[in-house]
Amino acid sequence: MSENPQRQDPPSKPQPPAAFSPEDMARRNRRSIALALVLAGLVLFFFVVTLAKTGPAILNRPL
Amino acid sequence: MSAAFDQIAPHRDGAAPTSTGEASDFFALLKPRVMFLVIVTALGGMVAAPGSVNPIIGFAALLAISVGAGASGCLNMWWDADIDAVMTRTANRPIPAGRILPSEALAFGLTLSVGSVLVLGLVANLLSASMLAFTIFFYAVVYSMWLKRATPQNIVIGGAAGAFPPMIGEAVVTGDFGITSIVLFAIIFLWTPPHFWALALVKSGDYARAGIPMLPNVAGPAATRRQIVAYTLVLAPVAVLPALMGFGGMIYLAVSVVTGLMMIALSLRVLKVTEGDAAYKAAYQLFGFSILYLFLLFAVLLAENGLGLMWALPKVL
Repeated sequence: MSENPQRQDPPSKPQPPAAFSPEDMARRNRRSIALALVLAGLVLFFFVVTLAKTGPAILNRPL
Repeated sequence: MSAAFDQIAPHRDGAAPTSTGEASDFFALLKPRVMFLVIVTALGGMVAAPGSVNPIIGFAALLAISVGAGASGCLNMWWDADIDAVMTRTANRPIPAGRILPSEALAFGLTLSVGSVLVLGLVANLLSASMLAFTIFFYAVVYSMWLKRATPQNIVIGGAAGAFPPMIGEAVVTGDFGITSIVLFAIIFLWTPPHFWALALVKSGDYARAGIPMLPNVAGPAATRRQIVAYTLVLAPVAVLPALMGFGGMIYLAVSVVTGLMMIALSLRVLKVTEGDAAYKAAYQLFGFSILYLFLLFAVLLAENGLGLMWALPKVL
């Protein structure tokens, strides 16, 4: 089907930019850092929760 | 079908769809203010429940519940991006403002939904995880995709989604739910209509533009005002029940009675003042106070049950 040349995207429709500007790249870097911090937090979260769920018995196991 | 689906497809130039939204935009997708109320109400259900839970497990469960609530808010924003764009109150949300792509919001919401339910199941129990999954489904699918655009009773039935957190909180502690959390459910359920209809009276033009059948647009402002008063008259006495049933003490009794009377007074003012700026002001005051009202009820429950400030009344019920 051929594209209608008259068609205009509504102004509210977000479109990714063709190329990232330095400002865009800085925003994406901040986003990546936030994601890394969340992932690190999740590691700590699961570690602490595992200790809390297992309790002192975590060390009481046959070697 | 929501226009959100139209924007999932890859970019027409063939580039992978992506945005330059920041972490704060993704956080905004979770509706942080709603999340805060969910934390307060779920914690209220946990501390009022008959039993106790390891504080770390309790904290982890609360985190999972709040993330699950945020995930449902994110899915709601994904689905409602088309109507958010035409309403002044919501036009600057991350998707209609163009900071986040709908496909990103959908992936974010689904990931957090699955993750929060799994974590709650692992740290607490299957019942609470199932209830959280049902809550997300109820808010995202039953309310957002179906009721919201179909009936003026949308926020009455959909209000159940916001009322589930105390029940999930009790299920975390006891592995079951009883009369305590059912009463807390009833308080939030009855609170939702006067809260949202007060806002709908102020923003009825917004809702009309978006084609949402809110009660003021369908039944008219006068009928909405009567319904607000009716719900508030039922809500105020129900909100006192925790004190009469033994899981709220003297402070709760005083706060629930005084703030309940204030809610009734404000709703009667909404009924009486129907013209001009004063009418908008009355409705907006009720909307604002209703948030404080719910927060105070649960904050006092938390203080009494969690911080040992309970001076219990003789159990009446």
